[in-house]
Amino acid sequence: MHTIKTRDKFTSVVYGLAASAGLTLLVIVGSRNLEHYDAALFGYTVASVVAFGAIVYRYALWLSRPATRIYWRRGWQLFRDRRRLAENTKSAAQTITHNLVEQRFIRRRGFTRWLMHALIMWGCLLSAAVTFPLVFGWIHFKLEGERGYRTYLFGFPLNALDGRSVAAWVVFHALDFTAVMVIAGCAIAIRRRLRDRGAIALQQYMLDFVPHLLLISVSVTGLMLTVSSLWLGGYMYSFISLTHQALVIMTLFYLPFGKLFHVVQRPASVGVELYQRRAREMPQAACARCGVEFVSEMWLGDLKQVVEELGFDYTMPDGRQLQDYCPRCKRVMRGLSYASLPDRTAEVFRGSRAEGKETMNAE
Amino acid sequence: MEETMFIDPQRCIGCRSCVAACRECGTHKGYSMIYVDYLDRAETTATMPTVCMHCTEPTCALVCPADAIKMSEEGIVMSALKPRCLDCRNCVNACPFGVPKYNTEMHLQMKCDMCYDRSSEGLMPMCASVCPTGAIAFGKYEQIVPLRRTKPVNVHVFGNQHVETKVYLMLPTDADAVEVDGCGVFEGMLQRPAEERQTPTVESWIDTQVEHSDKSNEF
Repeated sequence: MHTIKTRDKFTSVVYGLAASAGLTLLVIVGSRNLEHYDAALFGYTVASVVAFGAIVYRYALWLSRPATRIYWRRGWQLFRDRRRLAENTKSAAQTITHNLVEQRFIRRRGFTRWLMHALIMWGCLLSAAVTFPLVFGWIHFKLEGERGYRTYLFGFPLNALDGRSVAAWVVFHALDFTAVMVIAGCAIAIRRRLRDRGAIALQQYMLDFVPHLLLISVSVTGLMLTVSSLWLGGYMYSFISLTHQALVIMTLFYLPFGKLFHVVQRPASVGVELYQRRAREMPQAACARCGVEFVSEMWLGDLKQVVEELGFDYTMPDGRQLQDYCPRCKRVMRGLSYASLPDRTAEVFRGSRAEGKETMNAE
Repeated sequence: MEETMFIDPQRCIGCRSCVAACRECGTHKGYSMIYVDYLDRAETTATMPTVCMHCTEPTCALVCPADAIKMSEEGIVMSALKPRCLDCRNCVNACPFGVPKYNTEMHLQMKCDMCYDRSSEGLMPMCASVCPTGAIAFGKYEQIVPLRRTKPVNVHVFGNQHVETKVYLMLPTDADAVEVDGCGVFEGMLQRPAEERQTPTVESWIDTQVEHSDKSNEF
């Protein structure tokens, strides 16, 4: 059976270290030799660099699975097909819009579920889009005139904002809005997890509750910072800030190894969708028993290769593989094998025409 | 969980109570995950009930590129974890028993999980609780086996591949394994000459189900 090879582990560690080193370099370059880097955010930076390396390590290790590796290679191979590059790009863009942005497939499972996921996802992604560039010193602001704020990205000046405008208020409070989104989404999720009989049976504390609890605590402590500075004159600000930092770092370290890893993993479905679309246009494999076309020949070939690489040998006496049969025929073939076990006089299937036929033959 | 399932196809009368009851399971979200297949509807009334056999080394889980199919501590092979499943359907076509189901619209893989909400608390899975003939039974090995004359076997041989499972099939013979050779020995005996075969003139709901759902494993 498949076990992770030492070589794959080593390669993944190298990728992880390279990713951490690359991000560190980007922090130095993006903050113009740390000129715009805020030293107070050092803890966040270190945690981000370590977590990023761990994510890349996990991703590389994940790609070393036989099934994942084949999909990964075949997906890119199909995408790079020069004659169809435009079509493939369109297909990928469509999948990204429908599946990753709109998440139509979750909407079909239920509106509340979709709302829950959309609130958490956009809350987290927008927060990340605001926080990471600030932490890494990629974005900073400078006061211009009495109330103008100019944004600098990687040290290059962008537009200026009127510090008293509605737009500025929204920008400065972006993390408050996203915190409310995340809390609302997690509340819906936890409510379902406390009520749904199926969810109650299947959920695990570390896998299903911890991420919600972490996200809620990060959001609540984040909001408390705003409350402290706006209305309480900075009361307990440094303590809240330290707690918030500790919680964020815990979440970052949970990211590569817990449920939240799907944020990084799930975009691979764009490649799988492209694979499926192209496969539908290709010659189809017919079931060796009933003749129904059930998957493409390419897909079946890849699947058989994966099955073999995993150490299985489903070669049948006639030379075919078990995967050459459609799912229903596999079930029926097993039923027929079961039926052929007893001798004809046994009570199995008494009354069937087979018995009558045999009796007739005997006569 | 010491309990497991015991499937005895010779007791199956094809009533499909299990198919209906399966939808009521808390983890199946209103969809049935069990199959009752006719072996050859024109030739015999024999039916084959198929639940997940919960392999000790599940092919479905190993061919999953997303590592989304997990086993519980009790050896129950679970439905794919929703956040991870990548919509590839490898599991549907790799499973030697033809068990996992897929819904393309919802990007959702589901399979028989022995009604985990029930069985993890010692309750019978829905199918076993409604089966009128005992074709699907749930309980401890030492409880069920003495009640039957059939032999419990949890090894299938698919060509060169031995597959050991948590679920038992009750055999009417002394065989140690079910050998699925794909050659259709019994099938050959069943088939009548083409001119004698009757073609159904009216499509029944069962044909529709076979054509649209059972053949593709789409739910």
